[in-house]
Amino acid sequence: MADLSALQQAVIKGDRANAVKLTQEAVNAKVSPKEILDQGLVAGMAVVGARFKKNEVFVPEVLIAARAMKEAMGVLEPVLAKAGIKPAHTAVIGTVQGDLHDIGKNLVAMMWKGANFGVIDLGTNVPPEKFVEAAKQHQANVVGLSALLTTTMPAMKKTVEAIKAANLPGVKILVGGAPITQAFANEVGADGFAPDAATAVDVAKKVLAA
Amino acid sequence: MKQTLTSCERVKRMMEHRDHDRVPRSDGYWDETIARWQAEGLAGSTEQVWQLLDRDFAHLCWSWPRPFPGRQEVLEQNEETRVVIDGFGQKTREWKHRSGTPEHLGWECDSRQVWENRIKPALRATDLHVHVADAQAQYAQGRTRERWCYLAGVEGFEATRKIMGDELAMIAMAEDPDWIRDVSRVHTDMVLRDFEALWKAGVHPDGVWIYGDMAYNHATVCSPAMYRDTIWPDHKRLADWAHAHGCKFIYHTDGDIRAVMDLYIEAGFDCLQPLEAKANMDIRELCPVYGDKLAMFGNIDMLVAGSNDRERIEHEVRSKLAAGMATRAYAYHSDHSVPPTVSWATYQLIIELLDRYGNYE
Repeated sequence: MADLSALQQAVIKGDRANAVKLTQEAVNAKVSPKEILDQGLVAGMAVVGARFKKNEVFVPEVLIAARAMKEAMGVLEPVLAKAGIKPAHTAVIGTVQGDLHDIGKNLVAMMWKGANFGVIDLGTNVPPEKFVEAAKQHQANVVGLSALLTTTMPAMKKTVEAIKAANLPGVKILVGGAPITQAFANEVGADGFAPDAATAVDVAKKVLAA
Repeated sequence: MKQTLTSCERVKRMMEHRDHDRVPRSDGYWDETIARWQAEGLAGSTEQVWQLLDRDFAHLCWSWPRPFPGRQEVLEQNEETRVVIDGFGQKTREWKHRSGTPEHLGWECDSRQVWENRIKPALRATDLHVHVADAQAQYAQGRTRERWCYLAGVEGFEATRKIMGDELAMIAMAEDPDWIRDVSRVHTDMVLRDFEALWKAGVHPDGVWIYGDMAYNHATVCSPAMYRDTIWPDHKRLADWAHAHGCKFIYHTDGDIRAVMDLYIEAGFDCLQPLEAKANMDIRELCPVYGDKLAMFGNIDMLVAGSNDRERIEHEVRSKLAAGMATRAYAYHSDHSVPPTVSWATYQLIIELLDRYGNYE
């Protein structure tokens, strides 16, 4: 009998060997892949995200949990694909033009993947038109913009304007990064502001539900 | 304002929480900031800004040991950026014509085995990472100008990130802490070897200023317990070396470090810098709690300065000077470095406010 609470715990502890083993056991036991994903892997990452937000766990623990999930997804993804199950949401993410910073953006991408978002990572120094193009191509629900530098905040504004001008139905724009504030997010017309990687999941879900 | 102390005396007294004449000052600037200010009327460059600021500190050296000193291979480039592999074995994409954090593309040290077999022996085999003659010259000049002279270097956590990258360093902190301890220990040995060599060469500073970014906007990168277990012993070694040589110890870290302030005190840190305002650091709250144990250096919010709003800036500078000066252990610095969003007129205003509100009676 597959034990999805044990799988959840394996993700929380970052025990990748066990996470892979328990995922394989659940697949072999014909547990629905959606159930394995939601009640095992995503549920585990949700606990990690909540603890991260409260400073009960820190970046090292989040990284090993995300790695455990990623390796377990290696087992689960073909089964999900066969069953025609797609990620709940699709997100495009990148660091805005003029900024090569990647750590914060990578953490948010990791947390979104952990919450079963399909994530297209455009990398760093991404021009506005590339965000627009990727959002169209992948039919994204969310576009995440990251900036580390005060000097690249204007590029974030330009990117928000470009996405809005492209009039993409249902696309929500989230912004974040060290100098970014809620006030700045409001000013540039973003749909949401995430002050940290863990909150980025909640904020994305909230704006998508609105 | 009548100044009665030399810079060196002023900073010494500030570090000892004793009476002095005015708030000591230092600051750092982006290249683009200086370029903007020159276009707005600054005659000269960073050195002239420091003169106007009346900077009290003299930098003598920079110790950042790397396993492959001098290595800087350009692997590819275009008009804007270039990809290089550097003396740490770190592959990055960096801007060619402007400042900014580089994009991290990979590290030669991708396993403990590579560390043990290649990187550690290379690091241990290196010569000094400081130029003794340069440090002696800086020291002589610092003493002539009666500035507070310091040795600067990088600590073990920053070294692990530089050598193996953030992701592997942090995974190793959780899964193989002994590896992180080893990297930090070997790196710290090299820094202390540099400092000892300078001491033996007659460079006898007033302080040691160690850099390492252990936190981001909302927390420390790792838990306080993990920090205590891995990096903290080497932080203490650095602080102990400083104290054994009659020096004060300044620690630079970005981010929200409130959860580890007590560990810094336990390690013997004398002063924290730059106290990033956007990361919830606020000396108006910190000084009443820690002001008797730690000197505070910085915290003037560059997001506020970048607004170039006179009223907001005056409130920022005045209220923080008041909080810091109440402890007799505060020095002015921006809360990181001054970005090009800050106009030359605004920075002159900040200096004016320091002159107006930064004097003790």
